[in-house]
Amino acid sequence: MRTGVYFCNCGSNISDRVDSEQVRQKVGNVSDVAYFKTFGLMCSEEGKEFLHNDITEEKPDRIVIAACSPRDHESTFMRILSGAGMNPYLMQMVNIREQVAWVTDDLQKASEKASHFIKGAVKRVGLHKPLEKKAIDMSPDVLVIGAGPAGLKAALTIAESGRKVAIVEKRAVVGGEPVLYEEVFPNLECAPCMLEPMLNEILHGEHAENIEILTKSEVIDVAGFYGNFIVKVKTEPRFVDLHQCIGCGECIAPCPVSVRNEFNNGRDDRKAISLSFAGGLPNVPFIDMNACLRAKGEDCRLCDQACPLGEGIIKFDDEELVSERNVGAIVVAVGSALYDSALIPNLGYGKIPDVYTAFEFERLLSSTGPTSGQLQMSDGRVPESIAILHCVGSLDKNHNEYCSGICCQYAFKFNLMIEHKLPGTFVTHLYKELVYPGKEEYFLYKRAKENPHATFVRTVNVNTLEINRKSDKIEIKNTAGGSLMADMVVLCPAIVPSKSSGKLGEILDATRDRFGFFEELHGRLDSAKSKVRGIYLAGTCQSPMNIQQAITQGMATAGYVLSGLVEGRKLEIEPITAFADEDKCSGCRVCMSVCPYKAIEFNTEKQKASVNEVLCQGCGTCVAACPAGAMNSNHFTNDAIFAEIEGVLA
Amino acid sequence: MKEDNGSANEALGEALNEALNEALNEALFEPKIVGFLCNWCSYAGADKAGGAQKSYPPNVNVVKVMCSGRVDPQFVLKAYDGGADGVLILACHPGDCHYKEGNYRALARHRMLLRMLEQHGIEAARCRFDYVSAGEGDRFVKILTEMVDTVRALGPLKALV
Repeated sequence: MRTGVYFCNCGSNISDRVDSEQVRQKVGNVSDVAYFKTFGLMCSEEGKEFLHNDITEEKPDRIVIAACSPRDHESTFMRILSGAGMNPYLMQMVNIREQVAWVTDDLQKASEKASHFIKGAVKRVGLHKPLEKKAIDMSPDVLVIGAGPAGLKAALTIAESGRKVAIVEKRAVVGGEPVLYEEVFPNLECAPCMLEPMLNEILHGEHAENIEILTKSEVIDVAGFYGNFIVKVKTEPRFVDLHQCIGCGECIAPCPVSVRNEFNNGRDDRKAISLSFAGGLPNVPFIDMNACLRAKGEDCRLCDQACPLGEGIIKFDDEELVSERNVGAIVVAVGSALYDSALIPNLGYGKIPDVYTAFEFERLLSSTGPTSGQLQMSDGRVPESIAILHCVGSLDKNHNEYCSGICCQYAFKFNLMIEHKLPGTFVTHLYKELVYPGKEEYFLYKRAKENPHATFVRTVNVNTLEINRKSDKIEIKNTAGGSLMADMVVLCPAIVPSKSSGKLGEILDATRDRFGFFEELHGRLDSAKSKVRGIYLAGTCQSPMNIQQAITQGMATAGYVLSGLVEGRKLEIEPITAFADEDKCSGCRVCMSVCPYKAIEFNTEKQKASVNEVLCQGCGTCVAACPAGAMNSNHFTNDAIFAEIEGVLA
Repeated sequence: MKEDNGSANEALGEALNEALNEALNEALFEPKIVGFLCNWCSYAGADKAGGAQKSYPPNVNVVKVMCSGRVDPQFVLKAYDGGADGVLILACHPGDCHYKEGNYRALARHRMLLRMLEQHGIEAARCRFDYVSAGEGDRFVKILTEMVDTVRALGPLKALV
C-alpha cells in the first residue's frame, strides 16, 4: 500500500500555525506513507494542476490531504482524483485548518495534533474501497394529490414543461376550497374569477393533454421510491361520462330525489344527480348512488331520458375503478380542515342556529351558495348585528397552540363584505390576538377598522365566552365580565390537518409533525419537501397558509420536480450507504426498526434483511444497531473507523 | 544495622522517586480524548469555532461520522483500549438530526454504555454525550474545554476494559 500525504499550507493560514516539517517527521515513518508533500494553496488552479500531475506521476494507492475542512474542498479534490484516473473515494481529507491551525495557540501542540489527525487518516484510508455512484432509470411523470390551488399550480407548471401529470382529487370538482368563496383577501378579488383562468388552462389549455384529472379518486397504495413510485388510485363511479357530457344540466331538474347539499353545509337541497355547485369544474354532473332511486331497486331513468345527447352519457353501470400509475415524484397538496368548533361547547356551535363556522359563512356570502349570496339568518330574517370570533381553538394549549395566521385576514374581509352587502350592519370582532403581516394585509385591517359600524374587542380567551340563545338574539357573555347581543355569530377556527392526511401519511410513509401536518424536510430551507425523497408538499397540508403562499409552494414543488427529475437523466445514487451481509444476518429486523427512511427490506422467505440503496441516506444507525454485525456502511466501515481511532491515538 | 539503614534509605529513595515521578506525570498529564462528531451539526459546529479562530485545548482527536447514530458502543471501547482517557460524542440537537432521529439512538446507546462502563470502573464523566449545532462554535469550545478539564482532573484512565 502506497499512501501519498499532501499537506496544504493554505496560503499561510495553516503554515503560520502548524509546522509541516515537524508533521512530516512524525508521520513520514508511519507504515504505508510513501511520500509527504507540501504545497502552498492546493485549491488554487496551480495547486489543482500540481495535485493532478503528481497523482498521475506517483500513482499512489491512497491519498491523504491535510488541508481545510472537507466541508470546503472535499468535492474539489474528489474531482481531481477522478480526473487523474483515481477512484475519488480512495482519499481522506484531514481538517488541519478549522480544527487545528485556527484553534490551537501553540505551534508545537498544533503540529502534534495535526500529526495525530493525519495518522488516523493514513490508517483509515488504507481500508477505503473504491466506490462508484450508481445510476437507475427514473419515470419523469408526476402524481399530484389534491386539486386545490397549490396542487393545480404544481400540476400546471409541470405540464407546461411538457411533462405528464396525473391529479388525484377526492371531490367531483377541482379548485379546492377557494372556488367556493365569493371573494378572497387581501384585495377582495372574486375567487372563482381569479381561479378560473388557471382551471381552464388545466382543463382545456395548450398543455391540457399532459394533465390527467382523476376526480372522485384517492390514492390507496404507494410502493417504490424516488424516480419509481407505483401508485394505486381508486376512482369512485361518477355515472356520467366525463368526456362526452357537455354539462348542460338538463338531467338535473327531472330527478325526483332531493337531499341536503353538502357543498352548502346542508342549508339547501340538491338532486341525486347534480353539479356540485354552479360553476364547479369539470362541468359534469355526478349521481349520488346513496340517494338515487335505482340503488333502492327502482328502474328510474328520468335523467338518462332527459339527456339531449341521447343514451350512453349517463352510465348506470359505471363501476369503481382501481388503476395504477408509475411516477417519479409525488406532490401532496391535500389541504386542511377547520378545527371542529363543537369541541369548544360553550360556543354553541351545532346547537344554536346562526352560529356558523367561517367556511359556512363563506358559502352564505357566495353567489353560488344556498342563499345565492343573500346574507340571511336561518329563519330568513336579515341580520342587524354579526359577531366574529377570532382565535377559535388557536393560541390555546388545550386546543391548538399555534396561530393559523389567515383567520384575521378573512375576518376583516367578512367585515367589509358585510358592510357591502348590508350597509349599517353592526360587526363586532372578538379576538385574542390580531395579526396582519405582509405588504398588503394591513390595509384590509385598516379598512375594517374604518367601518363605522365595526367594533374590536379583545376577549383574550374564547373559553370564557358563553354563547346562548336569548329570545330571537344570540347572547355572547364573557364570564370574566361583559356581554353583547348579535343576530349571527361567525367562528374563525384554527386551520388543522384534514382528517384523511393521517391515512395518506401512512400510505406515503411521510411523517407528520406534532400537530398532524405533513412534516417538511427543513422548516426554512426545504419546506416544500417531505422527509421522503421524491414526495413534495404544497399548501395547507404542510402548515396553515394563505392562497399566495400555497400557490408559491406549489411552484416550489414543480421546481424540485423539474430540476431533479429530468427526462432522460438517471437517478444517481450516492455510494455511501449501508449494506447487509446475508450470511451474518439473523433476521432479527432491529435494523428495520431504527431506519428513519424505511430503506431496509426484509425477505420473508430467506429471513434476511437487505438495504435499498436508493432510499438509504447513509446515516449508519442500522450498522451501530445490528447485533449480529451483519450491517456495515460503505466508506464508514467498522474497520475503517476502528483504524482511524487507533491512528489518532497512536 | 548500617547496611540495613542503607537499603532502607535506598528503598525510601526509590519510593520517593516513584512518587515524585507520578506527581510530575500527573501534573504534566495531558488527557487524550477521542471526539465522535456527526457530519451535519457538531462537525460543522467545530468548523464554526475554527472559522471564528477560537482557541481551545488540542487534546481532542476528531473522528467524523455521518450521524451520531453511527457511533457503535464498540467505537468507544476501542478508543479506551487504544489509550484514550475520555470520549466525547457530539450530536445534533433534539429535533434537528439530519437523519431525523439518529441522535436519539445515540443518546439511548450512550445511556446503556454508561451503565456498562461503570461496571468496568470507568467513570461516567469520561464518556460525555452532548449536542452542538452547526452554528454553535462557542458551545463546541465550551463543551470541549469542560471535557478536557474534567478528564484532566480524573487523571489517566487506569481501569482495564
